Amino acid sequence: MKRSRFPFYITLGVIVFFYLPIVMLVIHSFNASRFGGRWMGFSLKWYSQLFYHPEIWQSLERTLVIGISATGVSVVLGTLAGLALHFYGHTSLQKVHYVFIYTPLVVPDILMGMSLLLFFVFLGIGLGLFTIFLAHVTFCISYVAFVILSRLQDFDNSLLEAARDLGATSWQATWRVLIPHLMPAIVAGALLAFTLSIDDFVISFFVAGPGATTLPIRIYSMIKHGSPPLINALSTLMLFVTFILIGVTQRLIKEETP
Amino acid sequence: MKRFALLGLAFVGIFLGCQKSKPTLHVYNWADYLAPQLVARFEKQYQCKIVIDTFDSNEAMYAKLKAGATGYDVLFPSSYMVALLKRENLIQPLDHALIPNLSNIDSTYLNIVYDPKMEYSVPYAVSITGVAYLRNRVPNIRFSWDVFARKDLKGRMTMLDDMRETIGAALKFLGYSLNTRNEQELQKARNVVLEWKRNLAKFENEQYKTGIASEEFFVVHGYSGDIFQIMAENPNVDFFVPEEGTSLAMDEMVITRTSKQVQLAHAFINFLLDPHNAAENIAVINYLCPNRAAYPLLDESLRRHPVLFPPKNVLARCEVIEDLGEDNVKYTKIWDEIKAMQ
Repeated sequence: MKRSRFPFYITLGVIVFFYLPIVMLVIHSFNASRFGGRWMGFSLKWYSQLFYHPEIWQSLERTLVIGISATGVSVVLGTLAGLALHFYGHTSLQKVHYVFIYTPLVVPDILMGMSLLLFFVFLGIGLGLFTIFLAHVTFCISYVAFVILSRLQDFDNSLLEAARDLGATSWQATWRVLIPHLMPAIVAGALLAFTLSIDDFVISFFVAGPGATTLPIRIYSMIKHGSPPLINALSTLMLFVTFILIGVTQRLIKEETP
Repeated sequence: MKRFALLGLAFVGIFLGCQKSKPTLHVYNWADYLAPQLVARFEKQYQCKIVIDTFDSNEAMYAKLKAGATGYDVLFPSSYMVALLKRENLIQPLDHALIPNLSNIDSTYLNIVYDPKMEYSVPYAVSITGVAYLRNRVPNIRFSWDVFARKDLKGRMTMLDDMRETIGAALKFLGYSLNTRNEQELQKARNVVLEWKRNLAKFENEQYKTGIASEEFFVVHGYSGDIFQIMAENPNVDFFVPEEGTSLAMDEMVITRTSKQVQLAHAFINFLLDPHNAAENIAVINYLCPNRAAYPLLDESLRRHPVLFPPKNVLARCEVIEDLGEDNVKYTKIWDEIKAMQ
């Protein structure tokens, strides 16, 4: 029987659709033309100009600081929320909790941004990086909690009981049995939270204060007066760093498992 | 996790710690819309720090301030937004005694904007909607909106996908105001746009830049700032403001009601109105700062630039697009008809 080539073409189509824009972006970051309509020669001018725009680097730094710290906090809180929902999900209190965790996933960004802004103003919290951090934690928790929750679906509770039976304290059972089992979900949740935090624009825009312009806010604003090719160059650099990081991590993982 | 918390704390500490040593002026502006060397010079001259944040639309900026966001001192809204900011009591009157350089402002533009007496706002930079064309492909062009009726350029022209701009162009072509509320005038404008539409490749806000830079399109309706950049890249591209007039937008400088650095904010506005600084700024941002004293200080190439200096008599026929409130619907209705018509 001849195998159908159809799935192959679909896969190919999807891959092209995913990666062609990125390839175009990388190519255009070396294009001397500002508009990218035609090739005006190889040039590194956008890369060199990047170094004359310290404010782009500042906003990148802010974005990363917020991304890392919001990820850290939301992973802890989100994991705890996921555990609570899983183990005590049948109680009415936890049902309310579930709704609270679920809501940020479905509320439109603009509504969330606006309401958080009104809330911060009402409380008199000065807008700035700290408020962006709080806002990001708020929506990242939900994503982390749901990743954890789905991982817990196939967790066999008797494993914990067996551990306790064999003499482990509840602390040991948690750290030696539960957490290792959850680790892939925790990592996945962290990556998801980090990605969401890094490219969030709408919510960040509203809760950002003076001196807290993050990279997405800056990029959106550059569309009117700035040079988009600068962003191509910056994205290419970020891609490059990401690839290196992935490469290094995979090598480390390989070395650890003999 | 502890490390993250510590990092966060340290960060907040740094953030709070470095704020109080020098006075800080918070500027809320479009990105890349102010020459960086001017910022550095002002900081040195006034022993202060300037922090610039950016927004991407007047509406988003307004929504944020209206909700109660504070901390910004100087804003750069567009002219039409100044009226709203004033009505909502979000900005404060300017003290003209602190801005002696106000006398440099080009009065040609003052007559067009919302606040001609500069009670609340000072014009910062002008952008005009006009027409860019390829000199080598479109010989014997007449500087009129009529160009979009030319059959020989069929399929090689674009107009903006913006109802106020494009219907406005037709209204100006017919000799009406582009802020008209008169149904009959709007009907006539609709028919004109429909006639133009037969010759257009499409209505387009972004791709027209690439299109004309790569000579795929020959005539495009676009914003002066973008066209300035295109002209720098493709020497065949030229620009004109149709003789019937067009829409003009002014970005203004205002001081927020809640500003804690009122003196410094006035000093900053005055600093940007200094002729030498304004001339330097024009060369960097590529928009015209309407500062008459700065014009003679510009390079020859800028002083003759068609994007920066359209003919005076044409300028006199330009208007600022106003928010028409309930009458916006009239435009929406016509625009829908235009878009739907094959």
